[in-house]
Amino acid sequence: MSWPSRIATAAGRGALRLVPAGRRDWAEAVWAEAHEVPTGWPRLAWRAGGVLLIAKEGQMARRIGVLLLGAAAAGAAAWAAWPESSVRLSHGAADQGDVIITLALLAGLPLLTRWALGPPDSRAARWVRAGCYAAILAIMPAKAVTDMFVGAVPQGGLDRHTYDLSNSNGGLPVPGTVSGGPDWGGEIFILFITACYVAVILALTARRTKVAPATLAISACAGLALGLVMFAVDPLGGAKTATNPWLHGSATDPLVALAWVLLLSAPFVAGALAAKRCHVPDDPCQASVARAWQGFAAGLVSNGVGALTVTVLGISTTALMLKSAWVRGWLYHGQHLTASAVYGRELYASGNVAFYVVICVIFPIIGLIAGLVGSGFANTLRPQPGSDAGELTVPRSG
Amino acid sequence: MGSRGEFSPQTLAVLAALSGQASAWQHGYALARETGLKSGTLYPILIRLADRGLVEACWQDEPVPGRPRRHLYRLTANGLASATTALAEAELAAAERAATTTRPGANPRRRRGVAAPVVP
Repeated sequence: MSWPSRIATAAGRGALRLVPAGRRDWAEAVWAEAHEVPTGWPRLAWRAGGVLLIAKEGQMARRIGVLLLGAAAAGAAAWAAWPESSVRLSHGAADQGDVIITLALLAGLPLLTRWALGPPDSRAARWVRAGCYAAILAIMPAKAVTDMFVGAVPQGGLDRHTYDLSNSNGGLPVPGTVSGGPDWGGEIFILFITACYVAVILALTARRTKVAPATLAISACAGLALGLVMFAVDPLGGAKTATNPWLHGSATDPLVALAWVLLLSAPFVAGALAAKRCHVPDDPCQASVARAWQGFAAGLVSNGVGALTVTVLGISTTALMLKSAWVRGWLYHGQHLTASAVYGRELYASGNVAFYVVICVIFPIIGLIAGLVGSGFANTLRPQPGSDAGELTVPRSG
Repeated sequence: MGSRGEFSPQTLAVLAALSGQASAWQHGYALARETGLKSGTLYPILIRLADRGLVEACWQDEPVPGRPRRHLYRLTANGLASATTALAEAELAAAERAATTTRPGANPRRRRGVAAPVVP
């Protein structure tokens, strides 16, 4: 076999992997049949038809579209988050490192997950993945804005006084610069949390983990509701300074009670519903394990989505507040704040975004426990074999 | 099944080729030669027919040494019934069109597309 033929054969074999498993036989058939076609143009034309088949059956147009859209979103987020040249080198290096490592995680982990656990095989799985990616890309520039604001030392006046008061342990930074060095430990921890979120979401939405599409859909909706209510409670990273009627930022409000109820009940209900929809015939032991797994996944996804939602909205609101007078007016409508008071609130809110890191750690832990409890609850209510109650549907096979 | 307009002319050509030797397994290249279709057209048609249960496919048991195994195709019982009906209807439609065009005053404009195959 000549070397161009070898290359063509190797490329063909590689391209076959792009075709879904159910269609791979057909693509292989075209490739195998090419050996019967006379060499030269007829064989080349036959193989070109095979390439068309692979492109069509592998849904290449959709894949390339999604890839381009993801690359454009990642590029825009990286561009917005990339530190300006005026920023002192140490901070700039930390922010650049954040951007590069986050993008590497977003690009590399899906390949690893696909190899180990298979691709997503439902619309719900793809939507959950897309939402997770969009959230992480949105957090990146918003975090960069708040990081730079909280570290920038005012030139003087009341702002400098406010800054010194809020950073009383920070020594004597030079006005007009960025104070101190980056918090490397904090940055590494945030990157670790980001990696965990991406890895867990990718794993739970992969084919071989067998999380039902209904489980993902139910838990993502519950998580979105939880995130929105939590944002209304803590619109500025736990800083209780917003006065907007929809964003009270108050600790004594019926909304807070609703937030607590949702924090515990959303994963519980999602876990119970996911377990209720899971039916494994014949083997009660296997059925219990399968239901517990669906409940576990539902709780984790529910509160993970909730934590991501409140984090995106909260950090974005804080970043917009720093950049836009309109957002400040919206948050503090009806108040006539002095410039120094506004600066103090901005500084306070920027420092409080660390609160969302705590949320991102705590929420999923609460979620997986509540989800497991919910699935156990659904298991106890399930009709025993032989009873008159109707059977429930199987969420997904294999 | 097999109602008029259900199958494209290309699909009818494939059905005709397969129903020619209904019980025999046929290769993709042989079908392509018989129908005049390119591989990029033929195989999507075979896939859709297989999805609808009209065509069954299998891999060759004993491959020729030095060559990969070939994929084989034939009509299912359901496929044979559908093909027979669809081809008969296509032949009837072609005859009706021919009668219309030969009638005095009829529009002699020819239609584009692959001619309906003759039922063997």
